Amino acid sequence: MSGFPSGFERGAASDRRSPFQRALTILWCVLFSVLSLSAEQPKPSEYQVEAVYLLNFAKFVEWPAQVVSPEEPFNICVLGQYPFGATLDKTVAGETIDGRKVVVRRFLKPQEVMSCRILFIGLSEEARLAEILKILDKTSILTVSNVPKFSQHGGMIEFVVEANKIRFEVNLTSAERAGLTLSSELLKVATAVTRNAQPGD
Amino acid sequence: MLVSGAALLIACAAFVAYDLVSFRESMAHNLAIEAQIVGSNSVSALLFNDPRSAENTLSALQAAPNIISAAIYTPDGATFAAYSRNAGAKTAKNLPSIPPRQEDTYWFKSGRLELAHPIVFRGKRTGTVYILSDLREMTQRLKRYAGIAAIVLLASLLAALLVASIFQRAVAEPIVRLAETARIVSRDKNYALRGTPTGNRDEPDILIGAFNEMLEQIQERDGALRKAHDELEQRVHERTAQLAATNKELEAFSYSVSHDLRAPLRSIDGFSLALLEDYGDRLAAEGKDHLQRIRAATQRMGMLIDDLLNLSRMTRAEIRKEAVNLSALAQSVVAGLREAQPNRQIEFRIEDRLEASADPRLVQVVLENLLGNAFKFTSKCTSACVEFGKLRNNGSSAYFVRDNGAGFDSAYATRLFGAFQRLHTASEFPGTGIGLATVQRIVHRHGGEIWAEGAVEKGATFYFTL
Repeated sequence: MSGFPSGFERGAASDRRSPFQRALTILWCVLFSVLSLSAEQPKPSEYQVEAVYLLNFAKFVEWPAQVVSPEEPFNICVLGQYPFGATLDKTVAGETIDGRKVVVRRFLKPQEVMSCRILFIGLSEEARLAEILKILDKTSILTVSNVPKFSQHGGMIEFVVEANKIRFEVNLTSAERAGLTLSSELLKVATAVTRNAQPGD
Repeated sequence: MLVSGAALLIACAAFVAYDLVSFRESMAHNLAIEAQIVGSNSVSALLFNDPRSAENTLSALQAAPNIISAAIYTPDGATFAAYSRNAGAKTAKNLPSIPPRQEDTYWFKSGRLELAHPIVFRGKRTGTVYILSDLREMTQRLKRYAGIAAIVLLASLLAALLVASIFQRAVAEPIVRLAETARIVSRDKNYALRGTPTGNRDEPDILIGAFNEMLEQIQERDGALRKAHDELEQRVHERTAQLAATNKELEAFSYSVSHDLRAPLRSIDGFSLALLEDYGDRLAAEGKDHLQRIRAATQRMGMLIDDLLNLSRMTRAEIRKEAVNLSALAQSVVAGLREAQPNRQIEFRIEDRLEASADPRLVQVVLENLLGNAFKFTSKCTSACVEFGKLRNNGSSAYFVRDNGAGFDSAYATRLFGAFQRLHTASEFPGTGIGLATVQRIVHRHGGEIWAEGAVEKGATFYFTL
């Protein structure tokens, strides 16, 4: 997007040059445009975006007074079939949250995720979602998923696709029940913020 | 007035300039704050790729009417969200496609203020806010200041004018009038003039009062001086008149006395002569001798009376000055003297071309007397010499008659000129003692001086000026 106008400007500025130079410039412009278009071609995949968002959520959420020891890293966990490939590990590499090293952990059983701060629940777990959420009830784990209607089922943040873009919905009640404080900044960019009655209530 | 106006103008300009500079800074500061607010409110939008939310945040800038446009850029320089005051068409056009690299900088460019503010979230560059603002606020402020300055200037000039006119009326005008009065007083020497008091009991009034007092004193002294002068003049006049009357009386008296003395004297001489002629043969030789003595004495007395009459005539005669050749006059006098005693061996040295403005009749009397005296008092010298010339000394000059004759004791130098004063007996040198008195009177009447130098047997010199 930015490459095209700048290339065009370069062509306009070369008007005072000789015909040969101008031809060369035009050729260069065309080549550059094609290259820049082809460079943009592989749009970031859904999971690449979601990996970045997972890390960013950490910056807008406040967890209740620490129950974990200070040496414990900041765990971003993935439950179920792992869909991120290498992107999530790349995204969190070298990142710290509140002085804690960010670490990605993979789990298959919901009982094992108690040391997590953020838990991404994969599509593979759609069937036993209610069971998982019940297990996570009364914990301070931020639950995120791209399972459809995740937030209606009591999940906290649900990735949705809107106009070809990855967005998210927030179930504020669930988050508050878990003792999490979500920044208004985060709520501002959410497509929807719901306060639904929980099945347990 | 001009100076104070200029000073005021400069002060106003300096104040406005200072205020504008500080206002520019505060404008940039305010813009930076706005950029920071926008930036921190756009962090989540940037992180979660939500341009709509960022545009929402940007649209809050509508509250600031001076902001023409604003934009948020991603860290890699792509436009993330944009805002424009004039909603619609121009949105992207006014924005630079690449945000400036400088961090947190502002610059004024062609009447606009541009500012780039980096968005940093948790130590990470998240994006850039760019704001373009017009200087409408500043120009409005400038206009307002210009208006205020104009009003202040006008008001203070009016006030200065008012003060100046009051000052003019209260101080300058009375002083100018006073100066004019002083000028007239000194020009006309009219000390009766007075300055007009303002009646305000202020400084000019005090000044005018003091001036008038001074004039009064001058007038008083002037009057006293004139009075004293007049009195003196009057007194001199009276004295002169008295003196002149007395003098005239005295002269008339001495003239008549002299004149009347001649008649009995002539009788004595005449009858003595008759006695000698008619009865000479009957008288013894001793008797004849006595008669001869009587005759000599009466003749001598006649000469004395003649000289006295001469002296009084000299005193009364009117002086008619004309150019006189003194050398020629002296020569003729000397010729007369030689003729009277042709057998005397005497040398006369007379300076040539001596001229003077004097009464020729009277100056002849002077020369006759002085040269005659010299001739007389050298009669006993073996090589007699008489000199007549002019002595020049330091711009002043005096005529002199010098001889190498009997001379006189210099102690009596002043007594020489008194009537009947003689330093020699008549038997030594004949004379009446009137000559030098006559000479002195003539010289004085010409406004001149006469004095003598001499020593016994060493000759005498008589100096005189005319």
